[in-house]
Amino acid sequence: MNNIDTVYEPIPHSEHLNNLVAITKEARKLIIDMAASETGCHIGGSLSVIDLLIGVYSKYVKDENTVIVLSKGHTAAALYATLYLYDLIEDNPAESYGEKGSLFTGHPNHKLPHIPFSTGSLGHGIPYAAGWALGQKIKNLDGLGIVLGGDGELQEGLCWETAQIIQAKAISNFIYIVDCNGGQNDGYVSDISPLHNLRQRFESFGFQVEEIDGHNMEQILAALELNHDKPLALLATTIKGKGVEAIEGNPDAHYAKIPERVASKWKRSLV
Amino acid sequence: MSKSGRESYKDELAKLAFNNERIICIEADLGGKNHPFEQSHPNRFFNLGIAELASIDIAAGLAEAGFIPFFSTFASFAAVRAAESIKLAMGYMEKNIKIVAAYGGVSGGWFGTTHHCLEDIAIIQSFQNIRIACPHGELETRRVIQEAAESQEPYYIRLARNAVYDSLDRAEESSCKDILIEGAVFTNAKLCLISIGEEATELCKSIAQVNDSVVHAHLCYVDLASLKSYIGDLQQLSDTFLVVEEHRATGSSASNLALLMPECKVYSHDCGEKWPIYGGTHKDVLDYLGFGLEPLQQQIHLIGGTDGF
Repeated sequence: MNNIDTVYEPIPHSEHLNNLVAITKEARKLIIDMAASETGCHIGGSLSVIDLLIGVYSKYVKDENTVIVLSKGHTAAALYATLYLYDLIEDNPAESYGEKGSLFTGHPNHKLPHIPFSTGSLGHGIPYAAGWALGQKIKNLDGLGIVLGGDGELQEGLCWETAQIIQAKAISNFIYIVDCNGGQNDGYVSDISPLHNLRQRFESFGFQVEEIDGHNMEQILAALELNHDKPLALLATTIKGKGVEAIEGNPDAHYAKIPERVASKWKRSLV
Repeated sequence: MSKSGRESYKDELAKLAFNNERIICIEADLGGKNHPFEQSHPNRFFNLGIAELASIDIAAGLAEAGFIPFFSTFASFAAVRAAESIKLAMGYMEKNIKIVAAYGGVSGGWFGTTHHCLEDIAIIQSFQNIRIACPHGELETRRVIQEAAESQEPYYIRLARNAVYDSLDRAEESSCKDILIEGAVFTNAKLCLISIGEEATELCKSIAQVNDSVVHAHLCYVDLASLKSYIGDLQQLSDTFLVVEEHRATGSSASNLALLMPECKVYSHDCGEKWPIYGGTHKDVLDYLGFGLEPLQQQIHLIGGTDGF
């Protein structure tokens, strides 16, 4: 069990925000611990997406009609940390991440509670969440399909194949949060296969588009409160490795295995 | 007037959906106009367009939401193009999705190799956990659709194009997972022909009608679990088998049965190694690939040796 108070009880806004920020700090410590495991982890993207994950779970963790899918599955460390801190999984993922016999694999594992779909092969989480959203629509329920994807992931045609269907079938109960950290495995997205005019691209597929700071919890929560009669795309500007000065903004920090002493130093330096 | 397998599918699914609100029908621009499901249940019919990977992943989300999605397209665009979606959503995660794949084998005839699929059973089999059915004729197709709708398991149902056949007689209470033995049941035959799929079953019917030395066993389900379940019954029939299947030899049911019955002789009448590069009817393309009545008779003769069958 974790030591963080659950955050979904009604509490004053400022206290709620402070609570969430405290949770993100704990989550970052867990991610750093997973980077210090025998296997290491995708630390850069995990640290860029963690504020978004914590924000989304804080709002929807008790909504059984809403599914949250981390489509950029390589950042499983962030998802495991989030599920643990929200008491959705019992075991501390950092204690067995990547180990023989552990379900905490390097990409999300549907054998764990509250992970309905094993992502990791990029693109698949988006149509899965869209299918869930379509199901809620057929049942006349107000549940959502929420997907957190990466900007590099948008190089996969499957993302746009799905956007086409979302528009065609008017799946408006859908939120696509793009963690725009600008990096991917081999370097910068802008160098490898740039995503020009991302806002216009999503708009052309019938999405309402909002741009936010993906590390600003107030903006994240405000964006999730937006009324939208179209599918909503949140383009969240983030920093790869956010919170650890030594690797912030460095695409080479996509994956790292660090010694314990470095992990301790990085955890102490978290703001 | 009998219907083809794929027309039977559409009609049967539309009927089932009257009593089962969880059934969803998904097409990928190949369902044709005046689809009976769309006409009967427009709120549960979705033509998602030419987007096979997304369609299967969307079906996974629908399945998770409690629905029973049936997704239909041509075999090649399902099993080959969308293989990764099938592997993950249906094989690994065992989502309750049913794929109905028309144009199996070379039933597309003159449409050419892009529209043929001689590899699908091998591909789907390798993903584990997925029931694979190759029904023959209208009644068996309808029964398989019924069984798929009732089952919690993922299904891959291989159909052909527009050929119309009468299914072999099957007892009302029997499942399509039971072997059908044509004619009187007898044991220790010199050769057991095993038919899988429509054309193969028609070929084996022809042979069994004129050759008393062979017994004909028809298999509708050919996933590994089903094949394992047949072994005891098959070995009662014979110790020599010739599996007739419109498929490549690689990953065929013959190859799987050979591994499951190492003490038996298992031969394969399949579509060989050539690419079907010419047009023509379904039968013309099969002839080019060496799959048909005459080569099958020759193969039976060769297996029988000097004594013949």
